Amino acid sequence: MPRAEAGAPVRIVTPLTAAASPAGTFCYHDPMRRVAVIGVGVTKFGKHDRTSAELFAAAAADALANAEMPASRIQALYYGNVVGGETEQQLHTSPQAASVLGLPSIPTTRFETACASSHAAFRHAVMEIASGASDVVMVGGAERVLNVPTADSTEYFAYASDASWEQTLGLTFPGVFALVARAHMHKHGTTEEQMAAVAVKNHKHGVLNPKAQFQKEITLETVLKSPLVADPLKLYDCCPFTDGGAALVLASEEVARVTRRPIWVLASAAASDWMLIGDKRDLSRVPATERAAAAAYRQAGKRPEDVDVVELHDCFTIAEIVATEGLGLFEPGTGGLAAERGWTSLGGKVPVNPSGGLKAKGHPIGATGAAQICEIVTQLRGEAGRRQVDGARTGLTHTLGGNTATVLVSLFGRD
Amino acid sequence: MTDAPATLHQFLEGVRAGRLTAIRCSKCGTAAIPPKQFCPECGQRAWEPLTLSGKGTVASFTVIRVAPRGRAAEAPYAIAAVQLEEGVSLLGRVVDVPLDAIAVGLPVQFRPVQSLDQTVIGFAPAKDVLR
Repeated sequence: MPRAEAGAPVRIVTPLTAAASPAGTFCYHDPMRRVAVIGVGVTKFGKHDRTSAELFAAAAADALANAEMPASRIQALYYGNVVGGETEQQLHTSPQAASVLGLPSIPTTRFETACASSHAAFRHAVMEIASGASDVVMVGGAERVLNVPTADSTEYFAYASDASWEQTLGLTFPGVFALVARAHMHKHGTTEEQMAAVAVKNHKHGVLNPKAQFQKEITLETVLKSPLVADPLKLYDCCPFTDGGAALVLASEEVARVTRRPIWVLASAAASDWMLIGDKRDLSRVPATERAAAAAYRQAGKRPEDVDVVELHDCFTIAEIVATEGLGLFEPGTGGLAAERGWTSLGGKVPVNPSGGLKAKGHPIGATGAAQICEIVTQLRGEAGRRQVDGARTGLTHTLGGNTATVLVSLFGRD
Repeated sequence: MTDAPATLHQFLEGVRAGRLTAIRCSKCGTAAIPPKQFCPECGQRAWEPLTLSGKGTVASFTVIRVAPRGRAAEAPYAIAAVQLEEGVSLLGRVVDVPLDAIAVGLPVQFRPVQSLDQTVIGFAPAKDVLR
């Protein structure tokens, strides 16, 4: 197949009937409007002595400055926050975030799909603009977890797995992906060294990102000799707990056309899978990734080989390997080889997580989806400095929620 | 309104009593773990009880070393996804076997396990393997 013209304005003009459209997807058929990201902002990731609302608002102020747009233009806030109820004793976080930003009267909604929360917020904000309901919308997310002990944050993150069936067993978030890792190793022969290669690569990229939580290279030995967390996953196979915020300004085509650096949303798709690990048929795969990716490629009229740069959900090293396969970047079972051979490194076939990914950049769960989009927009604008993917015209973000039951995939292009 | 075919509470009470009572679609024969309203295969809502043998094999497993709050004293402990012979899978604690002897494919048998103050699903090596 010839390579599609990356970044060309794409509109799928054939309406899909409700019956033909997979659940959770929509497509840009007329009269849906095109949507662009016109501003991005992200805090430094790491430990902060600020509330999640403050972290969001700091990122949002940066996003507005980046968009060269006054706050008064924002018509709605779509917000991601996950464990605020536990770590900050704070519910009702979206109006709080808007108040701290200084926009107390706009409609706000908090989204919670575990680690995919602000990517879910993004998808719904895109639909609000595409539908014509609003012209300028803020998307953001923030999380604060480093103010509580690790045993507590481990407990709160496990709330994203089933309370009756899985939390009662003492299953942890690393434990979920350890089950995926063992199944992938058994089926495909994936090795602990290949998983470690993902961590080494993402730490190498993180050195180039001044906002990253870890800006330090590590070696394979660092990973392989680190203590076991949930066999076969070791400490350095796991992303860290992180405080941080991220924000995006989205606009309709009419508004975006008069801004300087719009990046077009070519697709935004969501998919789910069974909540219970026991109900998933093949733990070596993440079907929600495969479904969301298929829907996103179809919306955008793109194929996996059109993608120049990817920010995907590497909450654990095995998660990156399985995601590169589910997104169609590599054949099933070859994601580990791709990492080992450097195909996903900056300068490789398809650079994955140039920001350092969740592994090195950090994973403030409610902010992660928005932060991934910040990186792809920065890449497509050609503003990523030392971690720039040369000539990137089409980018993809992939965010996974909790126990692999939620996945969002979005595609972006430049003029 | 039709009564739910089987509630979570009923299933977990069965676990405490040493039984696994799942559901089977009387239309297409698909076995499932309750609670579920509609059959994921045929879309019908015609469940009947299905007593599981509790026999299965380990499909994947992990050993939790860093435990959630309150479980540090139990760690390290093993959790496995077990494919049962009726075609459904359950997650459970793996007990009565050294942690380094657990492997994908290990034949196991259900038994209730105490964790903190709760009875949870557990699996021990199948008896015919030990002989």
